Amino acid sequence: MNERARVRCPGCGAEMNCHAEKLDPQRAADDPAADPALDGVVLEIHTCPVCKFVLEREAR
Amino acid sequence: MSEHVAKFVLSQVAKLPGVETELLDVRALSFPTNDAGEQIKSPVFSAAMTRADALVIVTPEYNHGYPGLLKHALDTNLKEYVHKAVGLVGVSAGPWGGTRVVENLLPVMRELGLVTIFWDGNFSNVRKVFDPATGALLDDAYVRRLEKFLNELVWMAKVLRHGRETISV
Repeated sequence: MNERARVRCPGCGAEMNCHAEKLDPQRAADDPAADPALDGVVLEIHTCPVCKFVLEREAR
Repeated sequence: MSEHVAKFVLSQVAKLPGVETELLDVRALSFPTNDAGEQIKSPVFSAAMTRADALVIVTPEYNHGYPGLLKHALDTNLKEYVHKAVGLVGVSAGPWGGTRVVENLLPVMRELGLVTIFWDGNFSNVRKVFDPATGALLDDAYVRRLEKFLNELVWMAKVLRHGRETISV
């Protein structure tokens, strides 16, 4: 498991949990965020344990 | 006839302690058809998917497949589904209970990040299972069958909620 900076929920301010990474292969061609080894952009999925808000962002 | 099945499933889910549920009819969501995917998100549908810990998809089987309208609606979200439980209920006029549509939905569920359970709902010869006029259930065996399906779904939903909230990748 990777240690990563915790994301604050934009809805309630609680600390969110990153529970998934998903590859978006449709953004591979010219996207600077693309991982060349994976041929796509890795998106992180964060869930807020308090208000259930779901946040998606590019992996860093 | 799938509407009768969906309402029956809703009534059984509503009996479960600690479970809140709602029925979303893809016919009523009215997604535009000149585009697809997250570009045509419905705030109502997306908010419901965010709130949900689990989904039950009730679908008729047409030519061994799922209705395009269902796929069109499912494609409008992604992050809202990830690591949530889903149970599939197939409906058919014939004897196979929508088994083919359930099988055909499995790879779609996986790509959307949903986690399928190993119980399915299969409603065969659906015109004989529900009164077409009133929607009343005519075969009580389906209550017992759905109980097993829902028990597994709730278990999976609890496990995955714990995982989403506390277990990091």
